[in-house]
Amino acid sequence: MQINQVAIDDTFAEAFAMKATRIVVTAHDPRWAMHAGVSATGFATSVIACGCEAGIERMLEPHETPDGRPGVALLLFATSGKELARQIERRVGQCVLTCPTTAAYAGLADGEAVALGRNLRFFGDGWQASKVIGGVRYWRVPVMDGEFVVQETTPVVKGVGGGNLLLLCTGTDEALAAAEAAVVAMRRVPGVIMPFPGGVVRSGSKVGSKYASLIASTNDAFCPSLIRLAPRSELDDAVRCVLEIVIDGLTEAAVAQAMRAGIAAAVTRGAAGGVLRISAGNYGGKLGPFHFHLRQLAGAGP
Amino acid sequence: MSGWRLRLRAPPRLRIDARALQPAALAGLARGEAERVALRQGRDAVPLAELFDLERIEDAAPPQLVVEGDLSRFDHLGWCMSEGELQLRGPVGDYAGAGMSGGRVTVTGNAADLAGCAMRGGRLEVHGDVGDLAATALPGEMDGMRGGTFAVRGNAGARLADRMRRGTVVVFGDAGDFMASRMVAGTVALAGRCGTHPGWGMRRGSIVFAGPAPTVAPTFAPLHSSADVFWQLLARDLAQFGGPFASLARRRLRRFAGDLAVLGKGELLVPE
Repeated sequence: MQINQVAIDDTFAEAFAMKATRIVVTAHDPRWAMHAGVSATGFATSVIACGCEAGIERMLEPHETPDGRPGVALLLFATSGKELARQIERRVGQCVLTCPTTAAYAGLADGEAVALGRNLRFFGDGWQASKVIGGVRYWRVPVMDGEFVVQETTPVVKGVGGGNLLLLCTGTDEALAAAEAAVVAMRRVPGVIMPFPGGVVRSGSKVGSKYASLIASTNDAFCPSLIRLAPRSELDDAVRCVLEIVIDGLTEAAVAQAMRAGIAAAVTRGAAGGVLRISAGNYGGKLGPFHFHLRQLAGAGP
Repeated sequence: MSGWRLRLRAPPRLRIDARALQPAALAGLARGEAERVALRQGRDAVPLAELFDLERIEDAAPPQLVVEGDLSRFDHLGWCMSEGELQLRGPVGDYAGAGMSGGRVTVTGNAADLAGCAMRGGRLEVHGDVGDLAATALPGEMDGMRGGTFAVRGNAGARLADRMRRGTVVVFGDAGDFMASRMVAGTVALAGRCGTHPGWGMRRGSIVFAGPAPTVAPTFAPLHSSADVFWQLLARDLAQFGGPFASLARRRLRRFAGDLAVLGKGELLVPE
């Protein structure tokens, strides 16, 4: 299958069930909301070593937030509800509670409730106060700029992690341009994040390693430096640079929609723009319950 | 589901304990059974049919009970109600909606004393005035209202929300002395004037003065720090009641913490 002379591989991205939540962080102005959001979702590229995958879903206008201030919507994904709860507490406690003027709220309506401010309230050393407003419990923790308002819990839902696209390009400039265009298009899709730096990862990984202590290692099949060296190489000489975009979403449909948008943006650049092939990573389909077939997504259009 | 419309033939000469008038319980009864439902009157029991004309309401969901007439000698209307809709079209006696945990009770007239006391959930709305000790504790109990929403379109008597622990009380008119005294937590919002000693002995909780500013006791400390986020959350929630509460979120806030004679974690919220 070729679109705009870009080959779409007959393969699929294999994704996994994850636990996910959305947290709304508001602040006095969008700049401080963004500071808190960037900080709270920092070092959260992969569950392999970060504990969770997190990102800023989008900016929120004042009319979209509970307190009428500008904010950001954060999505956090982890492999278990317990680990997600731990990560929420750490990240909100260290990066949102600490950031001037911020407040934190649950961004989902339904799901199993885990602590958001329930334990952070103890920072108030007894001066904290609870308030139930409209059936929702908030905590007011005195801090040096006034008070930190935080909702007691946030719902956790089943999400989908590990949707991915591999963009096989003629060189670094072309690959970066295609990946950036794809990420811009994918960020418009609600309910997804691309957790890696700039939404793009260059160190795609495979499961396992020749070293027993490593659970993941470089995806040699897509390393251009290993053409004719690695027995599993899937590249030809025209491919000089491969970049991957990893997608985590609240639903399977959201991940599919994001992948569709990414494919559409990449093929729009076409072979003329240096995009040769689009592929995806999977583990033979036996590990992850969600399979996103590239040709189906490409055929369905953006 | 369905319901009943009860029209009072004549006000009873003695007070009636009307706690048996429950929308959900009556909805499933046949006419004969409903007519025989007994209401306590002192040591006697009076069948419903002796006091009211009964008319079936078809296809009411949730179960509905409409009671019409001068009910000022009927106490405990909506007592411990957990579901359904109870419309009381006329003045009602003491303990209206007391102990209710769910459903909706509407009183189009005035309610006497102890309305909504020990309320735990649901919504109680009185279009007229309420007497003393509304939203408080049952005699002998430690905790007052502990959940739900109680709206009074008229005035409230003394000791409104005494010992209140949770929930929201909104009064569109004036309130008497000792409003929210000994309050443990929750929210009271008042649009009119209040009597003396508002928040006397309150430990936690919020009292919103949407109307005239109260005389603040010296045991309350003025606070000048920002509580805008909390105020926006609360004011936007209170805006659902409309009228004087609709514009709260646009008003700047003055705060007083107290009562410092006790725990002192309560607040008088006075929007300017």
